Amino acid sequence: MSIEEMAERTAIVADGGGQPLLEVEDLRVRFESRGRRVNAVNGLSYRLYEGRMLAIIGESGSGKSVSSRALMGLLPGSARISGSARFQGRQLLGLPDREMRRHRGADIAMVFQDPARSLNPTMRIGAQITEAVRAHGDVDKRAAYERAMELLQLVRLPAPERRFHEYPHQLSGGMRQRVMIAIALAADPKLLIADEATTALDVTTQAQIMELLLELQERLGMAIILISHDLGLAATYAHDVIVMYAGRAVEYAPASTLFAAVRMPYTEALLGAIPRLERPPHSPLPVTPGQPPDLTALPAGCPFEPRCPRAQDDCRTEAPPFTEHEPGHWWACYHPCEGSSS
Amino acid sequence: MTVTDPALGDARETAAPGVATRILRSPSLRLIVRRLLAAIPIIIGVSLLTFIVLSLIPGNAAQLLLGPEATPEQVEAMTRQMGLDQPPVQRYLDWLGGALTGDLGTSLVSQQPVTSELGVRLGVTGELVGLAFLMSLGFAIPVALLAAYRPNRLFDRVSMLVSITGLAVANYVIALLLVLVFAVQFTFFPAIGYVPLSQGLGENLRSMLLPAVSIAFPLFCFYTRFLRGDLVDQLQGEDYITTARAKGIGPWQVLLRHAFRNSSFGLLTVVGLNLGTLIGATVIIEQIFALPGIGQLMLQAINTRDFVVVQACVVVFAVVAVLANLVTDLLYAVLDPRIRYGNR
Ligand SMILES: Nc1ncnc2c1ncn2[C@@H]1O[C@H](COP(=O)(O)OP(=O)(O)OP(=O)(O)O)[C@@H](O)[C@H]1O
Ligand code: SF4
Ligand SMILES: [Mg+2]
Repeated sequence: MSIEEMAERTAIVADGGGQPLLEVEDLRVRFESRGRRVNAVNGLSYRLYEGRMLAIIGESGSGKSVSSRALMGLLPGSARISGSARFQGRQLLGLPDREMRRHRGADIAMVFQDPARSLNPTMRIGAQITEAVRAHGDVDKRAAYERAMELLQLVRLPAPERRFHEYPHQLSGGMRQRVMIAIALAADPKLLIADEATTALDVTTQAQIMELLLELQERLGMAIILISHDLGLAATYAHDVIVMYAGRAVEYAPASTLFAAVRMPYTEALLGAIPRLERPPHSPLPVTPGQPPDLTALPAGCPFEPRCPRAQDDCRTEAPPFTEHEPGHWWACYHPCEGSSS
Repeated sequence: MTVTDPALGDARETAAPGVATRILRSPSLRLIVRRLLAAIPIIIGVSLLTFIVLSLIPGNAAQLLLGPEATPEQVEAMTRQMGLDQPPVQRYLDWLGGALTGDLGTSLVSQQPVTSELGVRLGVTGELVGLAFLMSLGFAIPVALLAAYRPNRLFDRVSMLVSITGLAVANYVIALLLVLVFAVQFTFFPAIGYVPLSQGLGENLRSMLLPAVSIAFPLFCFYTRFLRGDLVDQLQGEDYITTARAKGIGPWQVLLRHAFRNSSFGLLTVVGLNLGTLIGATVIIEQIFALPGIGQLMLQAINTRDFVVVQACVVVFAVVAVLANLVTDLLYAVLDPRIRYGNR
């Protein structure tokens, strides 16, 4: 099935209708340095509609960050990018930096994992926000200050007048992440990419930040891409879920469909790794045994095969195609799970 | 979500006490006092060490002053007159007592008070050090910024080649080359000699330029390499740079407001560590260019076994080095918010 057909189906399921906000087609990213080739993203396609939250889930190294940074032109020079990524119909890939800059912040903004390292330690909070405000549009100092205050209130940072003049190290992790969100919202983006924005935070703060994102999405009508290791987070918050493995999408469905009937053995394995409430905090998670494949030499067959409990001989010969097997539910597997809810 | 969530309660409070208490509690002030107190034993130690080394060097100022024809009686009389017959401990304590009151003694050779002689020469050496310092940093910063703006492009490669070469060459070799090219070959600059500021700034600078460049060039190379490397590391490895770029600001703004701001602390440390090199280089360079500075005075005094003058010069160098390091640390404390607010 072609990407057009796929989009039609998901459009119906997603109840989005109209033109997608973001349309990624066969995105590939390869890093080349000193003869080594890392195939980080290997043909990723998805569509995202206004006001939706899409979760991209996968283990470390599955290409979640690389695929989203490629959209904003934030990858290093060693990255070779191909495919297509249209934002409101305009092609983003291959734009010269000068033009890409107009989209950064204003159309697509990003919040990163580690708020301790994502803020400039030598600049006051206020200056870091007003810089983002003034990056787009001719805003004078006074107006930028007003806007920064508004943003800090929007993200519910307590005592914003005082925090405005402080440095990142004077704030707690949760407060720093609120500041990061304020920076991301500065130029009214239509898409916010939260790249493991809550991973570095404790459980309580994590929930608060997620609630904040949800509330902001409702108020501002943004679309959100939520990048995470955690299927549980996706189940709780996202409309749609993509599960990535070795730079590919391996399962894709609206959250309700997916969690009613997981098909992909890899997703099933990830579900087993969700922390349960009764487990004492910080106890090691049961991990899927085995390692993800070497991205410098991907196997001909299914990349999950060496770790897959359902693997059979045919899995080794050719990688299973990523197709829509049930309405709105896509997966790449020859021997899917029976679809009993976990 | 509720407004009174517990995670927000762990905000670190920054108290706002009165101005007087703030100054008294100021980490900077405490740092100054602590460092000045720590400097006293260092300087005494340096002077003692110099004194011991000088006592061990063969050769007698009285003998050298009177010449080889002098009779032993004459030499002995002169030795007594100079106070060199006293036991070393006595001589050191006498010297130390004087030094603490600002009297560094009387030159054995010229019979002039050392303190006033040093005062004049401190100006020359100070100008040389200051010029070299300004030139090394003043060129290193823009060159490093331009190189880091487009790493591995032509400008970067050329500047790295120059700085690697420059680092391999000693400053006195550069001095001789400069003299050869600019003073002997083209006679743009005087080869040697010093023109005081009172005879006009232009002439004064002309006499100081080649010596200052000789000292500044290796430092320039070192700072350029360091800063360029640190900037590129920041640009390629730091998350806050990605945040800045994701805002949609231009590459120069990312470089100057973000990367350079953070790299400047590393640069400050390196500059501080090299202050010793900077000051030490004056000894040779003043000799080559015949500049009447402290370095030259010290070498002359060593030749004439004028221990009082040598001792004074060493102490001056030690004091300047200690003060320079203190200033670096203070700048660090003033500039870096993480230290300024006494956090961690
Ligand atoms: N600059 C780079 N040069 C070479 N390889 C890279 C580069 N950046 C990322 N990679 C590789 O690309 C692959 C995908 O990385 P990516 O950061 O997208 O993973 P991720 O899914 O976000 O993982 P995590 O959960 O750890 O953030 C990894 O194998 C990584 O090593
Ligand atoms: S295709 Fe085969 S190896 Fe791959 S996930 Fe499905 S069952 Fe497992
Ligand atoms: Mg990542």
